[in-house]
Amino acid sequence: MNISRRMAAMNLRFQKDPLFMQDPRQTPAVEIDALHKWYGTFHVLKGIDLRVAHGSRIVICGPSGSGKSTLIRCINGLEAYRQGTIRLDGTKLGEDAVQTALARRQTGMVFQNFNLFPHLSVLANCTLALRRVAGMARTEAEALARHYLEKVRIPEQASKYPAQLSGGQQQRVAIARALCMSPRLMLFDEPTSALDPEMIREVLDVMTELAHDGMTMICVTHEMGFAREVADAVVFMDRGAIVERAEPATFFSAPSHPRARDFLGTLLH
Amino acid sequence: MGFDVGFALASVPAILGAIGMTLLVAVASSFGAAALGFCLEIVRRRGGLVGFLVRFLIDFIRATPVLVWLYCLYFILPFHGVRLSALTVGIAGLSLYYSGYLAEVFKAGIDAIARGQQEAARALGLGRLDTVVFVIAPQMLRNIAAPMGNYFVSILKATPYLAVLAVPEMLGAAFDIASDTYRYAEPLTVAGIVFLALALAISQGVRWLEKRLAVSTAR
Repeated sequence: MNISRRMAAMNLRFQKDPLFMQDPRQTPAVEIDALHKWYGTFHVLKGIDLRVAHGSRIVICGPSGSGKSTLIRCINGLEAYRQGTIRLDGTKLGEDAVQTALARRQTGMVFQNFNLFPHLSVLANCTLALRRVAGMARTEAEALARHYLEKVRIPEQASKYPAQLSGGQQQRVAIARALCMSPRLMLFDEPTSALDPEMIREVLDVMTELAHDGMTMICVTHEMGFAREVADAVVFMDRGAIVERAEPATFFSAPSHPRARDFLGTLLH
Repeated sequence: MGFDVGFALASVPAILGAIGMTLLVAVASSFGAAALGFCLEIVRRRGGLVGFLVRFLIDFIRATPVLVWLYCLYFILPFHGVRLSALTVGIAGLSLYYSGYLAEVFKAGIDAIARGQQEAARALGLGRLDTVVFVIAPQMLRNIAAPMGNYFVSILKATPYLAVLAVPEMLGAAFDIASDTYRYAEPLTVAGIVFLALALAISQGVRWLEKRLAVSTAR
């Protein structure tokens, strides 16, 4: 009913943050320059450069161990990196603690294993950060959470606990939980890899809808149908580097890099 | 000298009169030990120099007899200008001593929580304290309800140590009767039975808590 008014109020609150005084459309949502990361002596990310414009949808794919999850986790500050810079909406991560926290708050993350809080109901999972981070009152937070649960098509499960839901339902709750914080950028780390085949569709449908709403998205996924349908660009990673970036049509019909060709070949078998 | 049931029954009121003190010490020490132990574990997990010192402190606490702590607090602190009542020293001593053990229990409980939980909390922007209070602590409690309950029973059973400080708890009351009458079997048996009943009550309470906490994982 007056959800939109509440959301407008929340957006206003965010806009008062100094970070959003600038026009976000002028800077890319994500700007990564020469990013290097090592695990001990293992060089996981070898000079990643990536720009993601506002409103665009990027699918990152590649063989396991190619560094795609690590990359997406660096963007959300879950992994530290040795060299290079990441800018979210123009804010350089790690430079100023407050600015970094504000920038990260604009980023929603969906994990392969859902990572819902098992001791909290679906509704409480969604409202925890609203109440503790955004400082919202209980009724207000619950109304907003129900709005997003409706959006991911499980409003009727609000009072259940995560363990009572199927994998697909849990992942949709995780998406709703992330959306509650009104992110400008959504990161998906293999969101359907832990799901039974019959549940993949329901999660991809929600993600597709989100893409059509204009959400900026970076998805690590092997769902090539999804990539074909919603991605602006497919980024192919191998051995810690981006070896190809192309529009889906080009990538799937004529990948220029031999390793990308090999990878697509393995997906078909 | 046989066991005189009549005398045993007659000593019940005096012993039960001290049950309040025993419960006060046990409950206060349990809360104190749990709170302190949790703080110790959280600081230890953060590592660094402070974490290292806390780790040493926890090992040190566990490697010393509880009586040493009680005597030290009661007899040494006054020389440094800190004068505490026997009851305060008793509760502080038991809290300190058992905090070392509970820190270990909490460690196991936190280690068992999936790593993704903290990541999800961070991704949502929750602060350190909020993460501990709303994400880590509730799941930890669910993991450790049983072993934590065992330590609460241990704390209850350790309350007679306070006899050395002349705190009028239950075993002390029983012993007073014994020294007055030279009949030991009856008052000590009564005290033992009351301890047994209290310990069983705590176990039941913990079992109930465990069931309640497990509801959220039920399929």
